[in-house]
Amino acid sequence: MAMRQSQSAVIERGVDLDTVHSTDPFEVAWAGEARWFVQFLRPAPGCRVSIQVQISPDGISWIDHESVAARETEAVGMVSIPVAQFGHWLRLTTSKVAGESSPSLRIYLELKE
Amino acid sequence: MTTTDISGLADALRGALRSSDGRLSKFNPLRRILTFDDFNDGLHGWVELGGNYNGRGDLESLDRHFRDMRPPQLSNANFFDVGTHGAMSGTYSMKLATRAHRGHSATGIRRLTMSGRGLLQIEAYLAWKTEANLSGTEQESNSFGDITWDANSHPSEAQFGSFTVATDLCTEGVRYHNVMRFVNADADGHLIQKWAYPVVPEPTPHERHEGVHDYEYGADFTAPDPNDWRYLSDDRVETCYNEVPTKINWHYLRFLIDTSTRSNVELQFNNDVMDLRGVPVPPYADKYESLENLLNFYFSARTVSGVRNFLFLDSVVISAGW
Repeated sequence: MAMRQSQSAVIERGVDLDTVHSTDPFEVAWAGEARWFVQFLRPAPGCRVSIQVQISPDGISWIDHESVAARETEAVGMVSIPVAQFGHWLRLTTSKVAGESSPSLRIYLELKE
Repeated sequence: MTTTDISGLADALRGALRSSDGRLSKFNPLRRILTFDDFNDGLHGWVELGGNYNGRGDLESLDRHFRDMRPPQLSNANFFDVGTHGAMSGTYSMKLATRAHRGHSATGIRRLTMSGRGLLQIEAYLAWKTEANLSGTEQESNSFGDITWDANSHPSEAQFGSFTVATDLCTEGVRYHNVMRFVNADADGHLIQKWAYPVVPEPTPHERHEGVHDYEYGADFTAPDPNDWRYLSDDRVETCYNEVPTKINWHYLRFLIDTSTRSNVELQFNNDVMDLRGVPVPPYADKYESLENLLNFYFSARTVSGVRNFLFLDSVVISAGW
């Protein structure tokens, strides 16, 4: 039996979140399961961030994933969001919803057949 | 049977076996196939080119132009107008996708070492595209640089900068890069469509550490100064971009070098075979340790328009004469 294909993609390795940020389109048609990790490389205690998984039919037009609610978190540590039934494209949109300082984010996308 | 007869028979057998193999017969590898990467079953070790970080992995310790080469994607070539285009063989290819940022390069690298010296070759079936655009006014979106939409030509073709095939090799402590780049268009969308090569070695992270340079994000990591590039020929290379950004026609590429002489030999692009023996391969002046027998190949795509540029690779074969 063939082993399951997998890929870990470092989608961002240190992006400053000033207002809203969307990751670049990523093709995931081959994968059956996915998990995002968002790590606050430079934490911003007191700052709150909303994280939304988005999907697309073509990598151009995007909507929120209907079954993954936006995750709101303080901008410290690391959060993880699993996602299934995502079609062929994935991206992650992070929005600063409260606080003055800007955290720096490392974002991983873990994919598996 | 003489030795010559046996050698000829072995070559003929090898050719017959390959031509009966539906996956390999489209390639023309040297005697020993080191790798055969069909992206229907994974990335086969192709990975984002990463820079050299410090002892605790700080992002700031990486050269700015080396921080963000983008992870390769397994693509089914899925487009807004036709859906899944698929690959030349099977459904999936490897896609290198730039950011929508002028100057940004997406780079995938494969890391091996050499168990001999002599001829070394990389072959690929590839296609290059820009990201389709579905916005803006007709006036804004129907022209870019040299191309105005006329239902044949499409402005997206002028939005693709370049793609590059290159090595990173080291023998007897001497490190060097064989580099060939298809320059499609400049930042203003003027079509160039010529093969080019650099006459200097690639700037290194160590040089930045020593204060020799400090390139900005989006600088051309292969050779940042445009004056360090030469065209192989003044003749324009005709290709099959095929009009719009969502039609993929696979092109054959073969790049042959010689590691025993640290030199270029030949480049084949579809039916054009170009003699590269006069194309220099500038080595680094300093000797390297910890890189002996380094055998890396990379492909990159670079946007100069600021529109995302994509390089799709259906399959790749690396072979050696040793």
